[in-house]
Amino acid sequence: MKSLFGRRSAVVTVVIAAALILSGCSKSVNDSAGGASGDCGSYAIAMHAWGGYTASATVVAEIAKKELGCTITQTTLDEGPTTYDAMEAGTIDVVIEDWGGGRWKEWVDRGAVVEAGENGNVGLIGMYVAPWMAAKYPDITDSKNLNKYADLFKTADSGGKGAWFEGPAGYTTIGEKMVSANKLNFKVIFSGSEAALVDGFTKAEANKTAFIGYAWQPWTLFAKIPNLESGHVHFPANDWTDPAKASGLTDYPSSPLIKLISKKLNDANDPFTSLVKNFKWTNDDQNGVAADLEGGMTAAEAAQKWIDAHADIVKSWLGK
Amino acid sequence: MHIKKPYLLLGSVAIWILLGRLLHGKNTLQIDTYENTSFTRFIGEKALELRGNRTESPAFIYFFNPIRAVIDGFVQFIRNLIAVPAPNSVIPVIGWLGVVALIAFAVFATSALRTALLSVSLLLGCGVLGMWQFTMDSIAMTLAAVLLSLSIGIPLGIWAGLSDRVLKILTPFLDLAQILPTLVYMAPIALVFMIGAASATIATMIYAIPICIRITSHAIRNLNQSPVEASESMGSTRKQTLTKVQIPMAKQMIVLGINQTVMAAVSFVVVAALIGAPGLGKPVIEALIIRNVGQGFVAGFAVVFLAILMDRSTSAAAKRQESFIPPTQAQVKRKRITLIVSAVAAVTSVFLSRTMLWAAVWPKEITIAPQVEKVTNNATAWVLDNLYIFTVGFKDLISYSILNPLETQLSASPWYVTVAMIVALALIIAGLRTAILAFCLAMAIVLSGLWYEAMLTLTQTIVGCLLTMVIGIALGIWTGRSDRAEKTLRPFLDAGQTLPAFVYLVPMLGLFGPTRFTAIATGIVYAIPVVVKIVCEGIRAVPHSLVEAATAAGSTTRQIITKVQLPAAKKTILLATNQGLIYVLAVVVIGGFVGAGGLGYLVIVGNSKPELQGKGLIAGAAILLLGVIFDRIMQAGAKRSG
Repeated sequence: MKSLFGRRSAVVTVVIAAALILSGCSKSVNDSAGGASGDCGSYAIAMHAWGGYTASATVVAEIAKKELGCTITQTTLDEGPTTYDAMEAGTIDVVIEDWGGGRWKEWVDRGAVVEAGENGNVGLIGMYVAPWMAAKYPDITDSKNLNKYADLFKTADSGGKGAWFEGPAGYTTIGEKMVSANKLNFKVIFSGSEAALVDGFTKAEANKTAFIGYAWQPWTLFAKIPNLESGHVHFPANDWTDPAKASGLTDYPSSPLIKLISKKLNDANDPFTSLVKNFKWTNDDQNGVAADLEGGMTAAEAAQKWIDAHADIVKSWLGK
Repeated sequence: MHIKKPYLLLGSVAIWILLGRLLHGKNTLQIDTYENTSFTRFIGEKALELRGNRTESPAFIYFFNPIRAVIDGFVQFIRNLIAVPAPNSVIPVIGWLGVVALIAFAVFATSALRTALLSVSLLLGCGVLGMWQFTMDSIAMTLAAVLLSLSIGIPLGIWAGLSDRVLKILTPFLDLAQILPTLVYMAPIALVFMIGAASATIATMIYAIPICIRITSHAIRNLNQSPVEASESMGSTRKQTLTKVQIPMAKQMIVLGINQTVMAAVSFVVVAALIGAPGLGKPVIEALIIRNVGQGFVAGFAVVFLAILMDRSTSAAAKRQESFIPPTQAQVKRKRITLIVSAVAAVTSVFLSRTMLWAAVWPKEITIAPQVEKVTNNATAWVLDNLYIFTVGFKDLISYSILNPLETQLSASPWYVTVAMIVALALIIAGLRTAILAFCLAMAIVLSGLWYEAMLTLTQTIVGCLLTMVIGIALGIWTGRSDRAEKTLRPFLDAGQTLPAFVYLVPMLGLFGPTRFTAIATGIVYAIPVVVKIVCEGIRAVPHSLVEAATAAGSTTRQIITKVQLPAAKKTILLATNQGLIYVLAVVVIGGFVGAGGLGYLVIVGNSKPELQGKGLIAGAAILLLGVIFDRIMQAGAKRSG
């Protein structure tokens, strides 16, 4: 080492070592502060990639920190298997909202992940056109008439057909089946992320350009484009629950969203466990927090605002 | 009869287009995204099995899990020192003032006062941006990954420097690692080591170690051989020659290798957040999620600051020239005194940062993050509002004129026609051996069942590379011919090379919408700096005498560029094209997040849908195969043209 880096490096090493030893022996702010936590341990909440999730997870995290004195880490993570793996490994304890319709079965069977009930939000998925189109072409919201308007949706990327913007990667999507089963003259384009869809819908509505895309509720976009619901394109009523067996002829089902917790948290059975198990709120609650978040508040501020306005609900979650 | 290469190339392209037209839509191997081939289903099942076995199989209990635990512990130790409080504490071992003082002292002692001051302001800059803790996390992660990388890379590099056989065995792996797009190997690593700091560190090491090995072995190999021979002839043992002659002589170059290793690790900071690494990547990715461009840039600036800090402090140590005039007694004394004083100051600061809360935790009030966020948000909004019409027009122009025809040609032709074409190109440009390799790799993609998606990605990469080269060569010539231009552009190029692609993915999305072109544009921005730098070097390396002779003969500037400088730099430009292709490929695949489809989308979807996991893993492998095909053809082509 010495021949490689010379004397000065040696000096640096000595000083840093001295500083470290000093810091090891000296007393610090820590000693006077004492332990920060109450009887709640330290847990990690998975943070998935959409605004509504951030809203729910941050509300739970803020209550746990302020009311229960837990140490909460929030780890940004892809939804689905990677998260279940992390739960199995003990690095993630809570998923506050999972749309996956049972894809966690393997992990639950192994005892690594535990279902912790519904979170009160109901997931509704569908295909939506930009609302101005629904006003101008009233019959467009019936799936049978889509082909009549397919030409409007042509873009440079859709190969002479209408562009059909499919949902983000991890979401339940059957667009390819819907297009082929209903013989729609559309090409499926995989948007890949929530950001891409938000961009598509807002620009289409602002510039009055044609757009048909995947949307779901609860979602903050419904707060930003208030009449988005009017653009809901209706397919025949749903007849499936497992996307793998869907024919594609019918619409998406509505599904209650599920909370998942790690075995570790389930076994701990402490105040945080019961907070997560009791947590339940409505689509409107979530949309409100998520809209504040999108409006420029930090997640913690938006969550705190909701918590302050709903003290009684928070109390009921805490079992007080 | 000898036919000229360009005619051969033109001829085969013509045949290819003709065949593509004739057999349009046949044997395209297109399958729906939700469908598996029997091969991808098999891989998916194996991956699921692996997941289930992690708590039982001996390979995990005795090998992978201990590695994970050790690396996790190491990272956690460093994080507890500077970034996060250990359990039952409220502050990390050393607070912000201590960290600043220690880094300043270390930089001052190893290089110069100016660099030390720069380091301090960069660190304070990260703090003012509201990113102190994220920055410390990133420094901790980088430090851990670099230390581990060096402890493997330097010994291996020295060994490869001494032994031809070792170098020969290592070279294919080094080449492969250089082509490997980062998005690709995250999933397999996370599969084995799970999400978290350990996976992120290992992924960083895979990226950084090859660079360290390459430069170290290069350093040992390119030494002036006479001192080595002298040492051997005087009867030194091999070990003595190595430790007393070779390593000290190669020192400067090895330190450069350390610098490059550090930079590789820093450039990984953001991507690593995708598999759960703590640090600056987190706010960047979160900004992408909630489409807060401003927040993304605030975090992105902190990444750039960190990169500059790491680069300047390590390269200054490498460049520090020993003066030929020995320092006078007084100078030595003065230096010693300043060193001692600053050492005392550093140690005092560390002490303060443990006892005083203001020196321990970065004061939240000192921040300009909201302002920076607002300014960038407004600027982006202005650009989007006013340029959207132009950017969409440009996007449509490129889409209709190049992208769509090429995509039709590649993806709607039968697979055997395109494979034959790739092999023919390889044969003409690079020779028989490369052609055979290209054939095998292309067939592997065909057999994997992901040929159609591979062709989509290939189209985007080719178009991205074409545009990159048009802009890159123009800027490269400009900077190569004018020092002033080089000086003006340099900071932008440096920043472009360190600013993570995820930061400008969202603005690009705003400009071009959820389309293939967004992916291409992001790839172009990412690849241009490296292309400009290589082309600039190439232009500068053209002998002055050639240029002077042409000037004397009365050539115009245009003639000098097209007739003298470009032809003389041909080989470098080919290499730049190769780098451009690989860079564009690496970023085009993250376009899967913004509507570009192709292999990148399959990788992303494989991460979140268990039933498509096998398809995602194979898509990653197919991206790598595409990269290798390109790389081999271009490298061999460049060698031949030399």
